[in-house]
Parts: sequence; C-alpha cells; structure tokens
Amino acid sequence: MALKRMMMSWGGYPFAVLLVALVSLALIPFRAVLASTTVMLFYVPVIVGTARLAGVRTSATAAVISFLALDLLFIPPYYHLTVAGLPEWLALIIFLVVALIAGQQTGTLRQREQAAVRRQSELELLNSLSARIVSEKSAATTAEFMVAEVVGVLGARRAALYMWSSNSSTPECLAQAGSSRQAPGEAALVGWVLREGKAIGMDAAWSVPADQRPISVGAADAIPGVVADGVYVPLQTVESLEGVLVAIPPDETGMTVDDERLLAAVANLGALSLHRHRLEDEAARAQALQESDRLKSTLVSSVSHELKTPLAAATARVTGLVEEGSDVDAARVHEELLNVAEDLDRLNASIGALLDLSRLESDAWRPHPESCDMRDVLGTVLSRLPAAQQSRVYFQIADSIPDVMVDFAQVARAITILVENALSYSPGDEPVTVGVAPLADEIELWVEDRGPGIEDTEKERVFEKFYRGAASATAPGGTGLGLAIAREIVRSHRGRLRVEDVMPHGARFVVTFPADAGRSE
Amino acid sequence: MTDISAPERPIRVLVIDDEEQIRRALRSVLQARHYDVDLAETGERGLELAAERTPDIVVLDLTLPGISGLEACERLRDWYQGPIIILSVRNADADKIAALDLGADDYLTKPFSSGELLARIRALLRRTQGPDTSVTEVRSGDLRIDFAKRTVTVRGKAVRLTRIEFDVLALLAKNAGRVVTSRMLLESVWGPEYVADTQTLRVHVSHLRHKIEAPGDVPRYVLTEPGVGFRFPEADDPQDAG
Repeated sequence: MALKRMMMSWGGYPFAVLLVALVSLALIPFRAVLASTTVMLFYVPVIVGTARLAGVRTSATAAVISFLALDLLFIPPYYHLTVAGLPEWLALIIFLVVALIAGQQTGTLRQREQAAVRRQSELELLNSLSARIVSEKSAATTAEFMVAEVVGVLGARRAALYMWSSNSSTPECLAQAGSSRQAPGEAALVGWVLREGKAIGMDAAWSVPADQRPISVGAADAIPGVVADGVYVPLQTVESLEGVLVAIPPDETGMTVDDERLLAAVANLGALSLHRHRLEDEAARAQALQESDRLKSTLVSSVSHELKTPLAAATARVTGLVEEGSDVDAARVHEELLNVAEDLDRLNASIGALLDLSRLESDAWRPHPESCDMRDVLGTVLSRLPAAQQSRVYFQIADSIPDVMVDFAQVARAITILVENALSYSPGDEPVTVGVAPLADEIELWVEDRGPGIEDTEKERVFEKFYRGAASATAPGGTGLGLAIAREIVRSHRGRLRVEDVMPHGARFVVTFPADAGRSE
Repeated sequence: MTDISAPERPIRVLVIDDEEQIRRALRSVLQARHYDVDLAETGERGLELAAERTPDIVVLDLTLPGISGLEACERLRDWYQGPIIILSVRNADADKIAALDLGADDYLTKPFSSGELLARIRALLRRTQGPDTSVTEVRSGDLRIDFAKRTVTVRGKAVRLTRIEFDVLALLAKNAGRVVTSRMLLESVWGPEYVADTQTLRVHVSHLRHKIEAPGDVPRYVLTEPGVGFRFPEADDPQDAG
C-alpha cells in the first residue's frame, strides 16, 4: 500500500519517468545487437503498466518520453533527434501511436474498474442503509449509522445530522462522526437549510438529474459572508423536511459528482427513515393518549359507581323511613339504621381509599422512612382490626429480624389492606397467617389465607384499580382499590408485592422490602 | 343504649365546630344520651361559652374559621382542666400531634361513628372524675401492673423493669386506650428538656417490649401509633381498683 502510494504521488509522473529511465539504462548495453523495433517492444509494458496504475495522462507522458528515449538512445545517430532513414521514422511514429492507444485503452479499463468498485461500495452503502431503515428501532440509531457511513465511504472529515429540537427553535445535532469540531458557520448554515429546504455546496451535482437532487446554492448565497466548504443536504420527503445531513470533505478539492450523488441518495433514504420513525412515535403517542383517556373514563365511571352505590342505598333507606311517617315500628327503624351505617362505612372506605391512591399517585404522600421493627408494625395492624377478627390472625415471626427503613404509617396501611383482604376472603373463622422473615438483603413479609385462591390469569390483574377477582362475589364490600394502594405503597419503598398459591387452596401475598429500603431518601 | 349510669347533674359537652351539619348531628346524638350540649361555630365563641358554662368536656374541631382549633386548644388549656377531644380530618397528622401536645386528651378522625365518640367521651370522663390514685393495678391479657408496689408480672412471672421502663409503661397503662404522644412521654418521664429526644424513647420502648411482650409475637401491650406516639390497649377491667 505504501509503495503504491509512493509511486502514485505527483500523479504518477515521477514514477513513469523513472520506469522509462530504468528500461532505457538496462537496454543501452545491448543497443548494438538489438534491432530498434525489438527495443520498442520493451517499452510497451511500461506504458501499459503506467496506464493501469496511474491513468491515461501519465501513460501518454510515458509514451512521449519513451518515444524520445528510443529516438535519442536507440536509433542512430545516437543522442540526436534526427533519424537516419524513413523506416526508422515510420517505426517510431507507429510506436508512439500504438503506445498512446494501448495506454488509452488500459487507462479507460482502469477507470471503469474503479467506477465499478465505487459503484459497488455505493450500492452496499445504499443497500445497508435501506436495510437499516427497515430494521432500526429509533431515529437516533439510524442517524448514527448514516453519519458513520458518510465518513467511512466518502472519506468525509466530518459528518453530522441535525433536526429541529423538540421546541422547534434551534437545530439539534442528532448524530455526528469523524471530527467532532463544527465546521465554520455550520450551525447557521444548518439553520438556513432547515428553514429553506435547499442544499448548500452541492456545486458538482449539476450532472445529476434535477429531480434526484435538491436545489443547491453556495454558502455565501445562503448567508452572506460565510465561507464554508461543506455540503449541507436537506433530508426532504414529499411531506416534510426531516433534517439536514452535513458532510465536510477531507480537503479543498471538495466532493466529486459521485460523492454528491451518493450523498443525495443517502439523504433521501435517511429522510424516509426519519420520517417513518417520526410517524411511528406520533402514532405511539396518540395511542398512549387514547389509552390513558380510556383508563380515565373507566376510572371516572368506577369511581362514580363506587361512591354512588352506597350513597344511593343509604338515601333509599332513609327516604323510605321518612316516607313511612312517624308510626314506623322502632325495630324496623333500628334495622334500617344499621344498614345505613353499613352503607356509610363503605362510602367512607371508598373515599378514604380514593384519597390515599390519588395522594400516592400524585406523589403527595411521600414515604417518610424511619427505622421500623416489623413486629411493631404488625402489632399496630392487629390492634386496628375489629376485636372479633383479631383472634383469627396468627403470626410466624422469625427470631431475629433487622429493622427496616420504611414509612411506618404507610406500610401499616398496606399490610392492613392485605390482612383485611385475607380475612374477608377466608370462609368463616378460618385463620389468616402473617409471617416475617429476613432474606439475604431483604425482609419478606407474607399474608396467607385459606380462601379460594387466585387464578393465574388474575394474579397481576388483582392489583389493578377497581378490578375484582372471580372470588370477590364471596367477599362483598371491598372498594376494589385496596390492592392497588398496597402495591403503590410497596413500590414507593422500592419493594415488591406479588401473590402466589397456597396448597391445597388459598392465596399468599408476599411483600419484600430491601433491607435498606428508603435509605436513599 | 347501654350507657353508664345517667348522671345526677347532666354532663355538659361543648362542641366547637364550624360545620352546621356536624353540630346538629352531634347535638342530637349527645342529647339522646342526656348530655347537656352547647354549640359554638367559631373558636372565639367556643372560648366564651367555655368560660360561661364550664363544660365537663370539650369536643373541638381543628379546622375553624378565625382562630384555629390549635390556638383555641392552647388558650382553653390555659385555665380549663377538663378533657378535650380533637376532631381532625384524615392526614392532618401534624395538627393532631400538635393539639395532643398542647394538652388535648384524645382525637377522632372525621368521619367517626357516634359510638366511638361516645366511648371516648365516657373513657375521658371516667378518668377525670374517678380519682386517678384509686387505680392501683391494671390488668391486660397476661400482664399485671401494680402501681403502688411498682411491679410488673407477665403470665404470673415477675419482670424486672428499670425505673424509666416502668414509668413509660405506667404512663401508657394509666392512659389505657388513649394515645400518648412521644412528647408527653418524654416530658413526664425524662423531663421537659428532653422532649425532642425521640430516639432515646424508642430505645427504651424497645427494651420494655423485649421484657413484657411474648417472643415471636407482635407487640400487644405497647402499640405504636404511627407518627403520633404510643398506646396501651383498653384494659380488661379498668375500674378494678384491686
């Protein structure tokens, strides 16, 4: 490679001269015995070789030098341009013509070959780019790939891809390759291209059909006074301008027609790709918005159901009694009032649950972690249960449990929910077991019941707001929010809450807190 | 219906709440139990009525127009000896604790049931009307505390407590069923200059629990009121004077 580069420096002319000189020197000792026409044959490979390695012009020069060398060194009288006879003249002229034609042919072949190689690498680039367009997951990775290829294939000193920043006020560099230093006037020119949709600096591309290249102007025409050598190509689709591809050529000679054509092709493909990614993002956003709208309306209808049902029941009972007048049987009044009290309890529970959940979700109820003994938390939970239920709760507590950094009140609320759930899903006076055990770097707490258990398909869904499992018919009165609240609390402590089966039947809700939960607060 | 003996002179309850509906509801509930009810819709009016009528117990809402419930509580406590029950809304923990520390005796979170309010009123009246000194012993579950001899037995076995541990337990047990704030515990057991030293309190409570609570079980005697303080469960037979 180094040798070839050395030979080809200065357009290959020194190399050609050297080669001719070497052949001449080698043949001089034999000029007495060799016919001049034979000597001519030795120069032909030199000319063809030069054409192959350095191109047509160099080989023409080599042909002329060879012609002179033949005349001066091998055709008598030596060292004079004059030639003795007509046959020698003829031979020399024919040599020159043959040498020029051979050089010309070989050189053309070389150009075609180079063009073919180049076209192949262009094709490979376009091919891999179009493959990327189908497969890339994001605009950013597509952009990275594009600029890397522009640097790799075109040998650009720097390549960068810009698009409008999200607030559409300043251009934002999505990706760059090669030199990370901005070219002079780059930011301003990028902004101009993004606004005008015209290319800058694609002067060489006049031979490219007009419909395959963008309108191009010089840098100084875009922004007076700016001197820039880069090429700025808009990434234009039929509908939109997606960005600007910047390529700074390696030296002052700038870009060739082929380079610019390739750049235009890359820009077209890139535009399509970025356009597609943008549309996909927009579609995803629209879908998320729609989904959240749907959830909101489900939530609103569930909330109003949750609040209105007990209110409607209480209202119906009370107005019923009012309607019946003052001669209602006292026992019946008492019975109805008991029912009303129950309705109001449920209403209160629903309102409380909704308040808790909205505070948790809006981050208004941040945990205030302190060092807590889980036994202590469980004691508080137990004391809040109705006295009749307390005796149904059994504890399995490991001998030594490290303290956990948690918000006492929140965790007590979460566990109360789990225990109340377990009590209401367990038939009659079946026991509910609550356990605590230390794991490697976690504390595990579980609440186990002997209820019907939870189907695998419902194991995640039971934590959704207002979702009621298949078994909920047997345990009426819940708000449908308890487990959502419990999970939200556990999550805010960087813990996990899951449910598993208990054999032969029942469910076990397992909470794990990192042993240092909340320490990061 | 199973109210304690109808008193010779009706017990006077002062209700200070700005909400008309709550005032009306409480009046009908309390009057049905033969209490004599005064109603005030602002803190200012409440203080006036308290001075005029010297109620036996005050029910005070914390969210009031004009002077706040907290301020009313503080000013009332300057001269008023009777029990004060605070009504607070959910989640206003800070106010609740401040009121308890300012001398309120108990709190209820709205909405509350009439039964709960009546039970609290009865418990507080019992405590202030019956001389405290007559309670020489408290029993709860397997635990017996003898205040005179300063001894504690768990399941019949004597437990050795330090002076501080006994004082903490005694204060909680004498206020059985009622929350005692950390500040109140620190002030009465350690002294007023220690009121901020909650860490010390936690350590002593932890030792106390270790001695009186059953191993492998949750605490049953010294219960944590998250963010507020501690509570001893309502004793089995609180009137038992031994």
